[in-house]
Amino acid sequence: MAVIHDDIGRRRFLSQAVMGFGLLFGLGTLALRFIQFLVPSPGPKRVGAVLIGAESRVPMGEAVSLDLSGHKILVLRTDEGVVAFSRRCTDLGCLVSWNKEREQFLCPCHQGVFDKTGRNIAGPPPRPLDRFEVVKRGEHLYVSIQSV
Amino acid sequence: MASEVSQAQVEGDQPVGQSKSWIDYIQKDLPEHLDWWPYTLGAIPLTLFGLLVITGLLLTFYYVPSPDKAYESIEQITNEVYLGWFVRGVHKFSVDLMILFLLFHVIRVFLTRAYQAAGELKWITGSVVLLVTFAMGFTGYSLVYDNVSYWGMTVVTSMLGNLPLVGTPLLYLLRGGEEVSGGTLLRLYDLHTKLLPVLLGGLVLGHVIVVRLVGFVDVPGSRSFHPFYPEHTMLMGAVAVGLLVLIVDLVMIFPPVLGPPANPQEVASDVSPPWYFSAPYMWITLLPGPVALWSLLGAAGLFVLYPFVDRILVQRGWPMAIINAVVGAAVVGVVVVLMILDTRM
Repeated sequence: MAVIHDDIGRRRFLSQAVMGFGLLFGLGTLALRFIQFLVPSPGPKRVGAVLIGAESRVPMGEAVSLDLSGHKILVLRTDEGVVAFSRRCTDLGCLVSWNKEREQFLCPCHQGVFDKTGRNIAGPPPRPLDRFEVVKRGEHLYVSIQSV
Repeated sequence: MASEVSQAQVEGDQPVGQSKSWIDYIQKDLPEHLDWWPYTLGAIPLTLFGLLVITGLLLTFYYVPSPDKAYESIEQITNEVYLGWFVRGVHKFSVDLMILFLLFHVIRVFLTRAYQAAGELKWITGSVVLLVTFAMGFTGYSLVYDNVSYWGMTVVTSMLGNLPLVGTPLLYLLRGGEEVSGGTLLRLYDLHTKLLPVLLGGLVLGHVIVVRLVGFVDVPGSRSFHPFYPEHTMLMGAVAVGLLVLIVDLVMIFPPVLGPPANPQEVASDVSPPWYFSAPYMWITLLPGPVALWSLLGAAGLFVLYPFVDRILVQRGWPMAIINAVVGAAVVGVVVVLMILDTRM
């Protein structure tokens, strides 16, 4: 029986290609798992209302700074009522402060400015400040937050 | 012309068919233009990198990468440990000078277009060295964990988090969670003391090997030669000693200081980063977020791939020598203006 040699090259190529892709696939999967190990997954979110005290504790025209389980918020009381904003600047995550004279929220990092409704009016911030819902039950104020 | 002469000379010294010994490598002839200081600026950052590795290793013996202890341990290094302030000062000034001389080196290579054919790999390895050095600068000053460090970490990681697709995983990867925390400090510490130094060391070694293999840039008229050892080595040694004297003086005159500790509840009154990030910091302050981010990333990409941009433009008949001079002057001008603006604000 004649030995056919003309497909040795092809056979070798195919076998090496299969092994090569297999190896790459295996190493790639391993690398992906290693990256997944390094990237922590976000914890489950729970929504809850947190008691922040009586409305009278917040002076008119001023903002009280609070840290509710990692959420840094400012509770602002104006003629229109009480509102709660996240202090996290929507630009790059610095903390805004309330300026009573200018009636604006200011971010010191890159000079972002928000008005008293949280709207971004100057500087780099791309969107308004995040708002938290404020619920009034009797004299007491509650802020709805997502807690981790 | 010069390369032909150098080829002929090197081969002329070498009996045909005999393999080179290490003596031939260290006594390799260097073209005479390497006697002129702008062509030797690369050796200065190399020397400083060595100094940074040594002082960095010393600092790791006292530094504690946890949010409760980090600032305290830096305070201990600066005020209590024998010569701690000196070691920290040398580490700090070495970074400043390394980045400064890397920038001078880049400017020289850019203006003389030394990245042209056969030199592309020199440019690419070198430009990545610069970018990794910036990453070392950022991770390094984050470890101090004073208030500027803390808000610097917040801002830089937020910026990377704004990237499409990879942004959010990258943010979690760097922060070790949703917020800047103790995990973030540990991750930046690992990057600064393990992953990035190994990467930078490899890149620097690669850059030196590539320069050695590809050869120095041809300068018309540069014909005579002097050997790498002992003449050029002695010169480099003299420059290294001079640098050491300069750094020691600087540390004596400006001993390292420490800002107020990190306060996650209150942004630092002045969040200006070190001088080498001053220009990009003003850039992101003045321009809207996506524009600033993409222009910085685009500039970094263009910077790394510049030899190929140059080649394409040359084929279209652009006078690249003049263009490089104009672009170089414009970039340096913009950076200086942004830095001045930062000091004014």
